[in-house]
Amino acid sequence: MEAIINDYISKELVQDPPLLPLADDTSLLETGVLDSLSLLKLMLFVQERFGIVVDDVDLVPEHFDSVDAICRYLRSRAGQSAGQAGGRE
Amino acid sequence: MSKPSATQVADPWGPQQLGGSGRLQVADLRRLASNAEGLCYWLVVAPLVALLPASLAYRIACWRGDWVYRRWSEKRSEIAFNLRELLGDELGPGETERLTRDYFRFTSCEVIDVMRLRGRAESLGKLVEIRGREHLDAALAGGKGAILCSAHFGSHISVSSLLHAGGYPLTTIGRWYWKYEAVLTAAERKFWDFVYARRVLRHRQRPNIEPWPGRVQVAAQAAAALRANEVVTICSDTEPLESDRPRAVEVPFLGRPAVLMPGVVTLARLTGAPVLMAFTHRAADYRHQVLEISPPVLMQGETATVFGRCVAAIETEIRTRPANWSYWASSDDLATMGLLPSVPLAGASAVSPEPVIGVPAAR
Repeated sequence: MEAIINDYISKELVQDPPLLPLADDTSLLETGVLDSLSLLKLMLFVQERFGIVVDDVDLVPEHFDSVDAICRYLRSRAGQSAGQAGGRE
Repeated sequence: MSKPSATQVADPWGPQQLGGSGRLQVADLRRLASNAEGLCYWLVVAPLVALLPASLAYRIACWRGDWVYRRWSEKRSEIAFNLRELLGDELGPGETERLTRDYFRFTSCEVIDVMRLRGRAESLGKLVEIRGREHLDAALAGGKGAILCSAHFGSHISVSSLLHAGGYPLTTIGRWYWKYEAVLTAAERKFWDFVYARRVLRHRQRPNIEPWPGRVQVAAQAAAALRANEVVTICSDTEPLESDRPRAVEVPFLGRPAVLMPGVVTLARLTGAPVLMAFTHRAADYRHQVLEISPPVLMQGETATVFGRCVAAIETEIRTRPANWSYWASSDDLATMGLLPSVPLAGASAVSPEPVIGVPAAR
């Protein structure tokens, strides 16, 4: 997952070449890679690629500050979804 | 969300109002009087006047606008300067003065508009004709929401509230300026929340989505509203924040290369929502208004090209009805857009606190 997210951000959202290659722990907010509209692009990508819809209440910088943070958040969301699906069964 | 400096509120009792010597001087007393008048207008006069028949209420608002026009010479000069600077060739003799006076009248009338939002906003609704409603209905029928792209033009915030009261779930992208200006006191912020924001926000689907550095969730919040097939409004004539300048684009605007944020186009592309231009203007009798909603903006082309279409529509509206545009009152904001040189206008009150005048709009 890290590789996919890193690849997408590197290709689609990084506008400052010196930031490449992008480390998974690089702050996307402090470096200006992520702004409001690029976060929306990332959310749409995540939804399409992994089928994970990001809740409005989860739209906090801590979940999106680095590739590592994004993946941690997505794994927790995937876990919640699996748990909910299991509960329904 | 802020109308430029003509509308800023100063703390009438704050120490910054006093002369350098610490003693009250004539200019200080005049400013104190202006603030007292402004506070009185917002808190007492306008709420009562708004209960009168519209013809009388708006006539009184115009008298008050004329009074402020006569008294506030610095702002009068600043507006006239900006009008001449950007529309000079189009203005006939005496027209600058007429437009400047109308600017002050409109600003006072906008306060009455806000007060007439009480209840289900029927008393304002009777005075506003909505043209192009069919375009908005058709856009919403697509199921991806609709973006109304506007400008700080006319009584756009009150009329947006009116649209919501009329059955269109509507949310605004824009920040209340008083929350972000460091020079304003907590009392001033509470004042604007009390007299203005609470009245406007009664007629909104969601709280304003307020862009600000570090607030990365705003586009996603707007997208959520659009996914719910709601209407989102945004003003595209806003001067960019310093932190946003790398993402701003240069577009022709009022005969100059302006620097503005094309977020409306990016948001539309990401969500699939159509963009419709929407402008409100005041009629010659000062009490009636018209909201005109356009068909969807053509989205073919690069972001800058599409955004240029939006800005061109804003420019056409400004040139057709100049007195409705809020930014005439702020040379600083026009300079930030790239429309004026960044050297402050001599005599303009860009730094010093200004009296309470009219409606602070959203940025």
